[in-house]
Amino acid sequence: MSVPVLYSPHYLEYNFGPQHPFSPQRLEMLLDLLGSLGQAPLYLEPPQATREEVRSVHLESFVRRVEAASTGEIPPDLGAYGLGTGDTPTFAGMDAATRWLVGGTLEAARIIMRGDAQQVLQLGGGLHHAQADLASGFCVYNDLSVAIRHLTQQGLRVAYIDIDVHHGDGVQWIHYDEESVLTFSVHESGRYLFPGTGHIHEIGKAAGTGRKLNVPLEPFTEDSSYLEVFGMTLEPALSWFRPDVLVVQCGADAHYMDPLAEILLTTDAYRQLFTLIPQYAEAFADGKAIYTLGGGYNLDSTSRVWALLYLMLQNQPLPDHLPEPWLRRWGSLLGRFLTHTPLDPEGGYSEIPRRPEIERRNRQVAVRLLETARPYWR
Amino acid sequence: MLVKDVMRSPVLTVDETVSLGAAYTLMLERNIRHIAVTRAGQVVGMVTDRDIRLASSSLNQGGVKPLETPVREVMSHPLVTADPLDPVEEAARAMRERKIGALPVMDGAEMVGIVTGVDLLEALLHLTGVHKPSGRLEVALLDRPGELARLTSFLAERNVNIHSLLTSPSSSEGVVAVARVGTLDTHRLAEELRAGGFEVRWPPDKFSPEPGIRNPEP
Repeated sequence: MSVPVLYSPHYLEYNFGPQHPFSPQRLEMLLDLLGSLGQAPLYLEPPQATREEVRSVHLESFVRRVEAASTGEIPPDLGAYGLGTGDTPTFAGMDAATRWLVGGTLEAARIIMRGDAQQVLQLGGGLHHAQADLASGFCVYNDLSVAIRHLTQQGLRVAYIDIDVHHGDGVQWIHYDEESVLTFSVHESGRYLFPGTGHIHEIGKAAGTGRKLNVPLEPFTEDSSYLEVFGMTLEPALSWFRPDVLVVQCGADAHYMDPLAEILLTTDAYRQLFTLIPQYAEAFADGKAIYTLGGGYNLDSTSRVWALLYLMLQNQPLPDHLPEPWLRRWGSLLGRFLTHTPLDPEGGYSEIPRRPEIERRNRQVAVRLLETARPYWR
Repeated sequence: MLVKDVMRSPVLTVDETVSLGAAYTLMLERNIRHIAVTRAGQVVGMVTDRDIRLASSSLNQGGVKPLETPVREVMSHPLVTADPLDPVEEAARAMRERKIGALPVMDGAEMVGIVTGVDLLEALLHLTGVHKPSGRLEVALLDRPGELARLTSFLAERNVNIHSLLTSPSSSEGVVAVARVGTLDTHRLAEELRAGGFEVRWPPDKFSPEPGIRNPEP
């Protein structure tokens, strides 16, 4: 059985302007790639999320500001809500455009609830920085948290897994005291990268204590160290927590080509992650998982990572080469040479002299995280 | 500024079988509040003057513990530790999150020092935590009038909010300014700063020969 895919042309309306890194071009390029591979997704078009659904995680005052800004009005306190900033500028129709993305992730949750599918792929969303009353880091509303809340309100236990290179702070803070939500974010350390949080000692509060997990990595972390600490920490956490469903934010910006961060994953690491995570779903969550997109700001690597995600979920073989027409079309459109293979060529970056030190520190972070959180795993 | 710069050593330790009374006397003698507790020479917990005063107080709901009670019964464990190479702000955040007043500093299995809240007060003058989602920018400036203004104006012109800013001397003629800025895209900012003649220490230029990320080539 194929994995249902959620997508809507309305997703392209989430657009902060031509110079902005969170570009809808990423989706167009991905869909064109899948189509060129003869794998055009037969997607379901989700309904737009309603205002009430957005309000399940966002404050009224915040939603009002987003609505006002969407009509071109500029309330004087917009900045206090993270809007109208360089990262998250306002645009006409912003509220509606974001609700389309929220609607997709929420629809994925409904599909899981109905038992119509075990796994669902949302080709969009992953707006993990948005907080209850704050737009932040290219994210207006938090589609992930709206979906997670829908699931927990019906009694499900949710494990949220965030492989975006930035800390999944919005999702963490929204569910910080919740017993039925495990959040797990692996990211470049906040010591170096936006948003600055995601420390191992952020383990939740009240009934949520021990259920919010963060693996902050050293800059220039490579595949083997990343995968080592990922397995070391996530597997025991899921084995203990036994979620009913996984919600996975598949940001592609930990790739070495990404211009916004300093983690050095190759597409082969993503291939392994997209093998491992469904295995974890099978072992610990009755096979259930929702996958969303997220960050990813190099068009070359991002489209390949997400194509891998799609093909692997659909149990399709990876092509040896990417289709020539697609390479020509997008190569000339972007004015640059594109990688010709799904996986990266050898030697994409020069050797990292600090590698042993980086591996040691990452391992120590993983050990310290487990020592910190495990006493609460009862 | 790293934990190893502000920690104190050597650390006073007592065996876990030592009595509350003896441990408290040691604290009074040395004028300290924290003692590391060991078992067979390995540190396993921390005991504070507050732990002992609470245990021996008639206000303790669990009942007064005799002064002969071994410290292992009142010590905090498992240990929350720091690494000597951790920045001090990380130690401060750990202590606040866990509501504790001191961290043993571990280099592998060996305790090499202790860092307490008081030690961090010094660091607090220079460092600041993360209060808002923000990126980190580190710029080397010449130590002369107007340099910091040049940097902050540059950021202001680009509508970038500065959440916090700290400067520290780096050499005889320079200072390093570390700004927490309200943007996810610090790389683009760094690129513009470099083009504007600034020496940006963080984030690095990923696509320069060092560290050398190569764009794909035919």
